[in-house]
Amino acid sequence: MAVSTTRPMRPPATSRRIDVVVNGQRYARDVAARRTLAELLREDLGLIGTKVGCNRAECGSCTVVMDGRAVFACSVLAVEVDGRSIRTVEGLESAAGLHPLQAAFIEHDAVQCGICIPGMLMSLTALLDANPSPDEGDVREAVGGNLCRCGTYPNTVTAALAAARTLRERGGTAP
Amino acid sequence: MSDSVPASRLPVEGEVPPALGRELTVIGRSVDRRDALEKVTGRAAYSSDMTLPGMLHAKILRSPHAHARIRRIDVSKAEALPGVRAILTKDNTKDWSTYWYMIPQPAFPEAIAYPGQEVAVVAADTVDIARRAVELIEVDYEVLPAALTPRDALKPGALPVPILDVEKPRDGNVQHPIYHVTRGDVARGLADADVVVEERFQLPTQYHVDIQTRCTLAHWDGARLTVYESSQGVWNVKRELARSLGLDEDAVRVVVKYMGGGFGSKAGAQRVVHYAARLSMLTGRPVKLELTRPEEFLSHPRRYAAEVTLRLGATRDGTLTAVDADVLLDLGSGSLYAGRYPLFLHQIWELYRCPNASVHVLAVYTNTPPTGPARGVLDPIASFCMEATMDELAARLGMDPVALRLQNYSHWADEAQQLPYSSKRLDECIASVTRAIGWERRQALAASNGGGKRRGIGMACYCLERSGYAPFSAKADVIVRPDGGVELRAGIVDIGAGQVTMLPMLAAEELGIDPERIAIHYGDTDGTHYAPSSHASRITVEMGPATIQAASIVRRRLLAVVAPHLGVAPERLVAANGRITVRDAPERGLSFEEACRLLPEEIRATGSRGPNPEGVVFRSFGAHAVEVEVDAQTGEVAVTRFVSSHDIGRPINPKLVASQQYGAVLMGLGYALYEEAEIDRKTGVLLNGDVHQYRTPTALDTPPIEISNIEGEDPYYPYSAKPVGEAPLIGVMPAIRNAIRHALGAGINELPMSPARVIDARRRSEAPHAG
Repeated sequence: MAVSTTRPMRPPATSRRIDVVVNGQRYARDVAARRTLAELLREDLGLIGTKVGCNRAECGSCTVVMDGRAVFACSVLAVEVDGRSIRTVEGLESAAGLHPLQAAFIEHDAVQCGICIPGMLMSLTALLDANPSPDEGDVREAVGGNLCRCGTYPNTVTAALAAARTLRERGGTAP
Repeated sequence: MSDSVPASRLPVEGEVPPALGRELTVIGRSVDRRDALEKVTGRAAYSSDMTLPGMLHAKILRSPHAHARIRRIDVSKAEALPGVRAILTKDNTKDWSTYWYMIPQPAFPEAIAYPGQEVAVVAADTVDIARRAVELIEVDYEVLPAALTPRDALKPGALPVPILDVEKPRDGNVQHPIYHVTRGDVARGLADADVVVEERFQLPTQYHVDIQTRCTLAHWDGARLTVYESSQGVWNVKRELARSLGLDEDAVRVVVKYMGGGFGSKAGAQRVVHYAARLSMLTGRPVKLELTRPEEFLSHPRRYAAEVTLRLGATRDGTLTAVDADVLLDLGSGSLYAGRYPLFLHQIWELYRCPNASVHVLAVYTNTPPTGPARGVLDPIASFCMEATMDELAARLGMDPVALRLQNYSHWADEAQQLPYSSKRLDECIASVTRAIGWERRQALAASNGGGKRRGIGMACYCLERSGYAPFSAKADVIVRPDGGVELRAGIVDIGAGQVTMLPMLAAEELGIDPERIAIHYGDTDGTHYAPSSHASRITVEMGPATIQAASIVRRRLLAVVAPHLGVAPERLVAANGRITVRDAPERGLSFEEACRLLPEEIRATGSRGPNPEGVVFRSFGAHAVEVEVDAQTGEVAVTRFVSSHDIGRPINPKLVASQQYGAVLMGLGYALYEEAEIDRKTGVLLNGDVHQYRTPTALDTPPIEISNIEGEDPYYPYSAKPVGEAPLIGVMPAIRNAIRHALGAGINELPMSPARVIDARRRSEAPHAG
């Protein structure tokens, strides 16, 4: 592989200024180059709803929505979210009340120990934002990377389909 | 089932709460989970989410070797690293024991028993410094030959495994005494049999894979230790820590408001709790110790592995004449729960009537991680072997598997002594699942098989003994205040099974109010009495009677205050639906709040669980039926239908019962089809210690699960509610196995039933003289 030598190599920046919108609020922060989005959210912004179960993009607990797409916050670097918009579980509730997904998770008991739930909710938020009329297969696919050892999956599917119905009845907008 | 409550035989200390004498208004309602709101909003703070000012972070150095003696540990370089505050090794913790189920284990042993065992713990200002310090610790190991399997450990000349539970009696690597129980004369029973089948089984370990890794935040303030934990029992942890650290129990407070999965693996105080507590006492600062996912696989007490040989003898009409089980159990480097081998008996000894039986358990230590309770403990192992062999026997006899089970159906816990069960409706469970799955389609399905996709239907029964355990001293407090406030205090942890939702429902039923009106103080040893850990399906059966007794006393004292105001005797008053009224004259009464305002001061009562009565045996029963589609070419198994029928008694909260059943079935599905540890045969190192390669079920693997439970009264349980958290897991593996056997014509006796094993079974079925 040819390496360009016309410009001098700069030592890697140990930290960088980022500008990010989280749950509608804008934050400017200096972040270390190696810091993950999960660490930024949990430790710097105090948003503990995002959980870390494996720290290597396998369990899905840390799922958040980045510019409309579900991503594993443990495997996105904080410097990568500069200029982007992030939504976490704390951003689901609004002045009008719980998000229909949250209400449906309670009603259909899609919650047991609860540790995987924020990730489940964010995977489904991304799904419903992109596809207001998912079928059962779409739901299972959307949470296929969210491990729940308590075994809530049957209720996850019921709750997600119920929430989708609620959202459609309300004209497709979350509160 | 009638809605009126019969005379109760609740096992309580003191007076048994009288029957309500009215229809139930709260029990049986699918009330929303009390802590769901915090969990869906992200507000629930688990131990891993908590921080304290001045907090240190701890990291563990682990042995890379399966078996070694530690010649020397040099921590000088680590100590010199700025930011390192304390280091614990065997050299500065002589004679210090940690406790698990109150069994002492050396905190840092001289000799290593398994790869991943703790050698040192560092507390430092940051996680990074602690991690770096761990790397700087130099350990000189004398590496020894390791016994990685029970067969290796039993070989002449095998070195003794330096086990964790140092006080347990042993002979070489065999735990003593050897467990062997017999009934009747097995040799005679086998000789009398027209048919004898013998099957050998190999069951692997199973990891719990709690999604929250173990995490403790401990804070010693100079006089008192407060521990924020991810544990299934605050009181267990409190007592074990006090014992380990030489503190008064009053000086230890343990708090668990939320915990991210336990399934038995967090039933007591774990190593990390002890380490964090000791480091906090040494440094005077809060210490947080959180395991990584790979560490979680390395060191937690996983499910036992076992090799089982099972022989069944029967006459030509299918009547069992002998049951003979030989178990070789892999305890790893510590059994942590050993001595509970009677758990093997329920499926093998008791589920079917048989005069001659023998169960022999050779429990062997190996240089592998410790083992311990996992949802169902030993029952799933026994169930897989028994229920699979029953199907092999049915095939040999040319009998229908259900007919064989009914032929040997046992109505008594002990037929010879006519010892009864408190209740048993297994026959109704069997009828329920076979009807729902369409059992009569089996023959037609078998006849149509032979192509690429083969379908099969199978079933299995199960039995679980969970009815409370010593010390039988669970207590609950109910308080009613003049302002109408009602509080329940229970020293329990909600591990996700809904304990914190269920207990207030019991108190609410007794008081005749909405459960939402009751505040519950829980997950904290301060302000509560002893409660058992949320394991072994204990909370409903132990805390239930205590809660009902306390609420019943409070109700009757409230009615005694109200009665003069209504001009009737207290016995004529009824509390229901938020009102206290005169029986048969409901217009005469007042609201619960108005009644409370008549109180001169608060009323408080403590309920206490008593020991189980003699002369009656407590079991939960159930059956599963499964339909599978097996790809004969790839060996993939798709469970297309799963029907589960549990002998539930009465569900306190049907929605929460269903969730427990789904969870148990799915954990069993993983054990049956996917979960397998890959261990390097030379080093003993786990090669797939991550949640990608150690594959637990996902939403994409989840079959349609239908629940068709059987209800009925059982006066020994709170409102007849029998345990459900563990039991349904037990029969999952054999039910799937028997469905695959039906599809292929050959059985699989190893777990998981992976594609390779399925293809192997198909080949066996196609071989000449297959039988």
